[in-house]
Amino acid sequence: MSDLLEPPGREETIPTPTYYERPMLKMPHWDGWNVVTYLFLGGVMGGLGVIGVLANPKHESDRKLKRTLAVTALVLSAACPSVLVTHLGRPERFLHMLRIVKIKSPMSMGVWGLVLYSGAAGMNAARELALAGAIPRWTRFLAPGIFAQLQALFGAFLMGYTGVLLSATANPLWSSGKRHIPVAFVCSSMSSACALSSLLSTLEGNSEATHRLERFEMLASAAELVALMSFERHAGKYGRPLFSGPAGDRLRTYTTQAGILAPLALNLLGAIVPLPKPVNAVRTVIASVLTLVGGYNLRNTVIGAGRLSVQDPHAAFVQPK
Amino acid sequence: MATGFFTDTTLCIGCKACEVACKQWNELPSDGFQFTGDSYDNTSELSGTTWRHVAFVEQMSVDDQGLHDRWLMSSDVCKHCANAGCLEACPTGAIIRNEFDSVFIQPDVCNGCGYCVVSCPFGVVDLIEKFDPEGSRYNLASLVEGRREDNKTALQGNGGVAGKCTLCYDRQKIGFEPACAKACPTESIQFGDVDVLRERARKRVETLVGRGVSGAQLYGVDDVGGGVGPLNAFFLLTDRPETYNLPAQPVLPSTRQPAGYSSAAIAAVGLAIAGWMIFRHE
Repeated sequence: MSDLLEPPGREETIPTPTYYERPMLKMPHWDGWNVVTYLFLGGVMGGLGVIGVLANPKHESDRKLKRTLAVTALVLSAACPSVLVTHLGRPERFLHMLRIVKIKSPMSMGVWGLVLYSGAAGMNAARELALAGAIPRWTRFLAPGIFAQLQALFGAFLMGYTGVLLSATANPLWSSGKRHIPVAFVCSSMSSACALSSLLSTLEGNSEATHRLERFEMLASAAELVALMSFERHAGKYGRPLFSGPAGDRLRTYTTQAGILAPLALNLLGAIVPLPKPVNAVRTVIASVLTLVGGYNLRNTVIGAGRLSVQDPHAAFVQPK
Repeated sequence: MATGFFTDTTLCIGCKACEVACKQWNELPSDGFQFTGDSYDNTSELSGTTWRHVAFVEQMSVDDQGLHDRWLMSSDVCKHCANAGCLEACPTGAIIRNEFDSVFIQPDVCNGCGYCVVSCPFGVVDLIEKFDPEGSRYNLASLVEGRREDNKTALQGNGGVAGKCTLCYDRQKIGFEPACAKACPTESIQFGDVDVLRERARKRVETLVGRGVSGAQLYGVDDVGGGVGPLNAFFLLTDRPETYNLPAQPVLPSTRQPAGYSSAAIAAVGLAIAGWMIFRHE
C-alpha cells in the first residue's frame, strides 16, 4: 500500500490539502461605494430615529433637536433606497424585494425595516413640521405621536440588521463575528447618528442639545471600541483579513484612532474645559466629522476584508459555527 | 418526487462531456479560455455560467516499492442542499424549491443583489457577468431579452442575475434526465430518485472499501452537518473533501441569526437606556 491509499485516520499529520490553493468560496459582489454607503447611512438613519424619542420634549433645545432629526431622517430615507438602486441597476429591481416577506433572510427583513422606517419617518417629519408651523398646523392630527416611537423601533432594527446580514453568510471573516459585528454596527450607528445630530445642532446654534448628544456619543463610541477589541480577540485566524495587513492599518487609523479615540478626547475636552463658544463649535464639528469618517470606514473595511477572507480556502473548509 | 445526482468520482474519466452538455443544453456562454496549469482543469470553478466543473487532482508518492500515482477526477455541481443557504438568503423569492426538490433560481425575479453568492457554504452560485456588447460574456437574462428585442437587454450595463445548476428543470419537466447525466459515458453522474441513489451510493462505497480502495467515502448522502442537512447532489470521494475543494465542515449561514439579532438587540436596548439617562435625567 502506498502512502496515498492508506486508510483515513493518520490524516492529522498531513496538512489540509487544498485544490491548487484556489478559493472555495465566491467573491462577494459588494465592492462598490454604494453598498458601503448604504450600510453606513442606513445605520445612521436608524440612530436618528432612536435619538428622536430619547430627546426630552420638556426642553426647548430638545424640541428643536427633534425637528432637525425628523427632517434629516426623512432626507436619508429618500437617499437610502436610491443608493441601493444604484447597486441593483434599475429601480424596479428594488421592487422585486417587496414581493415577499422572508423572516429567514436578513436582507428581506432589512428592506421591510427600511420601508416601514421611511413611512414612519415621513409621518413624523410631517408632524414636526406641522408643530413648527412650516406646514398647516391641522396636519399634525393626521400624524399622531406614535410614529416617533415606531420610527425609533424600526430605527433600532436598522442600526444592527446589516451586521446580522453580514454575519449570516458563509464568509469566514463575517461569520466569525456573528455577535461582534452586529454589536459593533449598532454602537457605530449610534455614535455616528449622535455625531451627525451634534454637527447639525451646532450649525443651528443649539449648543444645549449638542452637549447631551456628545455625552451619548462618547458612550456609544466607547462601546464600539470594546466590541471591536473583543471581535479581534474572538475571531482568531478568521479575523486576520480585517485586523492585520493593510485592512488592519486602515481600521486602526481611520476607525479606532481617528474615528473613536480622537473624538472621545475632543468630546471629553469639551465636557471638562469651558471653551469659548466659537472654539467649542469648531471642536464639535471636527469631532463629529471624525466620528462619521470612522463609521464609514468601519463598514468599508469590513466589506473589503470580507473579500480578502474568501481567498483563503483553509478558512472556508471549516466554517465558523 | 425528489430527484438528484449521485456523482461517483471513482468512475469519472475527466472527459468533461458533462461540462459541454450542460453548456449546450442551457445555452451558457463560454468563459473564455486560459491555461491554468492545474492539471487538466482549465475550467477552475463553478460559476454563474458554468454549472458542471470537472476537478483534476494528480497525486504522486514514492516509496521502496516504487512510484505510486493516482489521478482523481470529480465532476462538481450545485449540491441542492436540504437546507439551502442561497434559498434562505434570497430577498426576492427568486430562489425556490421546485417540485423535484431542486433549488431553482427564477432569472426574471432575481434582482442581482448578490446575497445568495455569499450565503452558499459551498461557493457554488455566482452572479452572471454584466452584459458584454463584445459578445464574449453575456447573461441568461440577456439571452431571453435578446430574443424579444434585438440586441437590447433590460439588464444591459446594469449587472446580471444569479446563476447555477437548475438540475435541468426544463428537461425534467418533459421526463428527460439532466444533460450532464445523459452525456456521462461512464455513469459517474447518475440521476434519479434521491432515495434510490442514496441506497446505491451506500452499497457502492461498501463494495469499494471491501476491495481495498481506502479513502472511499460518501459526501452529502447523510447530513453534512452545520444545519445544511443531506444534499440532493452527493458524491463518492476517495480522498478528503478538501482535496476536491469541498468544505469538510460547512455551516448553514442562517443558523447564526439568533445570536446576531439577540446581540444587536441587547446592544440597542443598552444604548437606549443609557441615552434615556443622559437625555431625561439631568
